[in-house]
Amino acid sequence: MAPTDEFTLDILTNYLMVGAALFALGMLGFLARRNLIVMFLSVEMMLQGVALSLVGFGRYHGSWTGQIFTIVILTVAACEASVALALIVILYNQRSSLDVTLWQDIREAVVPASSPIAEETLDAEPVQATLGPESYPHLFPAGIEPPHPTQPWIERRN
Amino acid sequence: MTIGDAILATFVVVLGAAGTYMLLPHQHGSAPPRRVHGAGAITASLGLLAFLLLWSPPGPVVATVFFYIFSLAATIGAFLTVTSRNPVYSALWFASVVLATSGLFLLAGAPFLAAGTVIVYAGAIIVTFLFVIMLAQMEGKALYDRASRAPGRATFASFLLLWSLIYAISALRTHASDGAPKAIQTIPLTRTRDIPRAFTLQPMSERLAILAGAFRPTSWIYDSRGNEKLNVAGLGEALYTDHLVTVGLTGILLFVALVGAVAIANPKKTERAGP
Repeated sequence: MAPTDEFTLDILTNYLMVGAALFALGMLGFLARRNLIVMFLSVEMMLQGVALSLVGFGRYHGSWTGQIFTIVILTVAACEASVALALIVILYNQRSSLDVTLWQDIREAVVPASSPIAEETLDAEPVQATLGPESYPHLFPAGIEPPHPTQPWIERRN
Repeated sequence: MTIGDAILATFVVVLGAAGTYMLLPHQHGSAPPRRVHGAGAITASLGLLAFLLLWSPPGPVVATVFFYIFSLAATIGAFLTVTSRNPVYSALWFASVVLATSGLFLLAGAPFLAAGTVIVYAGAIIVTFLFVIMLAQMEGKALYDRASRAPGRATFASFLLLWSLIYAISALRTHASDGAPKAIQTIPLTRTRDIPRAFTLQPMSERLAILAGAFRPTSWIYDSRGNEKLNVAGLGEALYTDHLVTVGLTGILLFVALVGAVAIANPKKTERAGP
């Protein structure tokens, strides 16, 4: 009647901790990032954390309910993705940008603007230019120069 | 939760928060970004190592190794999803999070869900790629990819949440080692799967009758002989007997979301002037 169970409470707490980390990092991404697409991905990551916790709980209690909840979460995630991407499309069509702070003017009238645009421009990280061939290390010729045809290789092709 | 666990959890959260704050796209004074990112990466990996010490290794060696691989991949992927400048890289790291989560599902005995997650999220990630290619300014040079909204406060809030979650979860472990209440010490009733055993062994009480009524054989992973049921068969049985209404509601939800997405995304027809 009582099968030996290898899924102990310690393993359950492991699963719950990984799920909690995914949830907290997803929340951080949703709060801090300004790109609508990255915010959408962060929400999906929070759902993944919850699903992980539910599957762990279901396995620990020996019940299917955790996995069934996760199937429901998958469905809700699909619905959320469709509606969110439709919203992203129309928001982009209105302002030609994925920046979520451009939509501050639809807030409640009594709430102050969280950060004016001018101040945020100062906060932005400077663009790191990708360096071209001029940044490659210069190699000095060493050793005896071997005998080779003086014709350049591009001319040697034809 | 022991004092050592609490100190370790605080270490994890402080190191992780400092590293994440440095890694988030933001102007950090006059320091060159590359150096700040290096320092942030080192701090965050130290926090991750401390987080690894909080887990207790599960029994068999193979399961332990795979559990650590998948959990580390999930956590690192989550960090990099949140902190990548380029949304394409965010989507790629999110794909790694999904794959690692499916691996953890497999380890927890949910192969159907592992396959389902991979299939559903593969589609979702490909669509996200299309959107990034269609809409985003490439190479992470857009202003909104180089700046964060209130990074300090956001990091504080989410890592405070993480600390309290870790605290609650570790408390769970301590409670269990205390053992079940003395009255039912012989038949511990900590899990749902213990109920049938207690039901057969103990004289019928009101509490047990309520528990047994709430518990049905179809919702149990094990059959009457104590063997594990086949995954898809058992899951389908539970889904279409105990949770039939849920299936119907999910169908309605999908339909409503479909209608909503079409209604939102379709361009409005402009009013034509009359003839």
